[in-house]
Amino acid sequence: MDFSLTDDQELLRDTAHKLLERECPPALVRAHIDDPSVYESLWRHLAEYVALGNGPATDACLFLEQTGYVAAPGPFLATLLFRSLAGDDVDRGATTGTIALVGDDTHPFVLEADRVESVAIVLPGPKLAVVGASDLGVTFVPNVDFSRRLFTLAAPPARAEPLDPARLAAWRDRAHALLAAEMVGIARRIFDMSLQYAKEREQFDRPIGSFQAIQHKLADMSLALERATAAVHYAAMTVDAADAERERACHVAQAAAGEAARRILKDGAQIHGGIGYTWEHDLHLYLRRATADEYLLGSTGWHLDRLADLVMGPSQAVRGL
Amino acid sequence: MQLAWSAEDEAFRAELVQFLDAHTPPQMQRGFDSYDVGDAHELVPRYLRDWQATLFDHGWMVPGYPPELGGRNCTPVQTLIYLETLASRRLLRSGHFPGYAIVAPSLLEFGNDEQKQLVPAAIRGDTIWCIGMSEPNAGSDLAGLQTRAELRDDHFVVNGQKVWTSYAMIAQKCFCYVRTDPTLPKHKGISLLIIDMDTPGIEIRPLRHINGTAGFAEVFFTDVIVPREQLVGSLNGGWAITQGSLAHERAGLWVESVSRYEHTIENLVDLARRMGRDTDPVIRRKIAASYELGSSLRALGYKGFASFAQGSSAPEHSYMKMATSEAGKAAYELGMEICGPLAPVSAPGLGVEDGRYVHMFFMSFANTVAGGSSEIQRNIIAQRVLGLPRR
Repeated sequence: MDFSLTDDQELLRDTAHKLLERECPPALVRAHIDDPSVYESLWRHLAEYVALGNGPATDACLFLEQTGYVAAPGPFLATLLFRSLAGDDVDRGATTGTIALVGDDTHPFVLEADRVESVAIVLPGPKLAVVGASDLGVTFVPNVDFSRRLFTLAAPPARAEPLDPARLAAWRDRAHALLAAEMVGIARRIFDMSLQYAKEREQFDRPIGSFQAIQHKLADMSLALERATAAVHYAAMTVDAADAERERACHVAQAAAGEAARRILKDGAQIHGGIGYTWEHDLHLYLRRATADEYLLGSTGWHLDRLADLVMGPSQAVRGL
Repeated sequence: MQLAWSAEDEAFRAELVQFLDAHTPPQMQRGFDSYDVGDAHELVPRYLRDWQATLFDHGWMVPGYPPELGGRNCTPVQTLIYLETLASRRLLRSGHFPGYAIVAPSLLEFGNDEQKQLVPAAIRGDTIWCIGMSEPNAGSDLAGLQTRAELRDDHFVVNGQKVWTSYAMIAQKCFCYVRTDPTLPKHKGISLLIIDMDTPGIEIRPLRHINGTAGFAEVFFTDVIVPREQLVGSLNGGWAITQGSLAHERAGLWVESVSRYEHTIENLVDLARRMGRDTDPVIRRKIAASYELGSSLRALGYKGFASFAQGSSAPEHSYMKMATSEAGKAAYELGMEICGPLAPVSAPGLGVEDGRYVHMFFMSFANTVAGGSSEIQRNIIAQRVLGLPRR
């Protein structure tokens, strides 16, 4: 058991952090609200890292913590999820993709369907069809997270190949770990902003961060963040090791990340006071991603219920993925 | 990042398992929960003293220490494996933690050569120690302690009172923090003395725990003469040692705390089945959330705290201390909820496991107070980890 990063992993994390800090400032996330095409300047850089979708989950998670930290717009997470499921089978020339889960009411949306080349569609059976995105009818679904575009699929494809259920299960667990990594990244951004604000903002002639009410709030936020981050790293390791704990660990990671994100976005906004719910301040750019992510691949409650099935045995028919 | 342990570490584990299989006394098989409900008639039963000595003699008491101190010079990772293995078998190392967990590391760091001679017996458990820290008016504000030690030529004269002093009734020695200079700012006038508990002028009044057993005591000092050689560290330099010893107390405790918590959650699953509550969606979600908490805390422990098992005094201990103590309390509450109307019933045969969950709930009140309250832990996290201003 070793949670320490290898030199290569540290380099990957630091490279991602610097790249995204430079290429995805708040101004880009804000500009994306009105002009989704602004993601293209960022994508030129992120496209070089899509092979992470086929590599170790630990590496992918380290990178996604950083894309989460900046609420990066564009199909990076979608492409990693796509390549994790279909990447070995499809034309290596296809660099972008996304996933559609047909007949799954917990995961009804298709990420970034208007700016990817391919869509891997999972149908009941399970079956898999990989089709060109331009051949599909999709409908845009406006949502509070302006940095991510969601769609619904008009009609499933006529033809699909059988998909090994074990492969789908492995992909599902990996997908949960990856999204959880992005969630702890966005939560860390909001936490860092709130901590900084608490140190700078003065009331009653002192920084508000000197008040115990604020200190204890930040201590609890910090604990939630650190344990969720640890849970994500553990989950990624179980994915890479195909460990028997994998399914549990990935649900734990998503539930812990969901709880941390919600606590931190709520308390972070509270610490920011009035400025925290203005359009002008950048906080809302990140609150939006943190809020929407919790519902992307099953809510915190859904993951807890799956965990209950694994820990206590099922008590009802399992729906969803 | 990888799940697998190295071959050397697996060999270490195998050797430990072999030792435990061969030497664990039968009385230990009942696990450590029973101590919480207070069914040990003796404060530190004989078999537990023998067990600690056996561990020491085989180099398994504090494996990171050298053999003469009851160890085998193992690595920090191996210490973690050791603690994890004991916890998974719900085995205690000792019935009295102050000696090996606080006194020994503090003396090794701050004691003189003569005082270091006391360390092996402290770790082996041959000497039982108590820690004289808390006073009626010095709890969380430990630096406000008022027990006075006046230096007169070659000895101190100690007057004052300690309280919540665990093991004081059976201890031979006290690691006692005293005020040696009341004119200095409060953190700067404190010294640490080793006081023999049979010294004339010491009176011990046992205090009963909320569960009715006597686990700690009040200790009164009236003109107690303590030779000057029993000063540890420098005169008025005691505060630095309190910082070390509090951290030592927390070091490595997280593995046991997390394992105990995870074990409680396993028991709650069984309890829910027995009480017919395992299909109740509210209970199911609460148990799942508890499982998630335990699992993520274990990951956090592994991730950030492996080195602390060796007793470093980094403030991040506070995360695990605060989280596991609060989680434990909530788990026993959940146990009571699952028991329903039988929760408060303690009569044998009538209630659920003789009122185990309500007893454990009461006992868990100590965990969020002793060794630094949850509020103090949050202050430490805010100020030392997050860098927020004190004022």
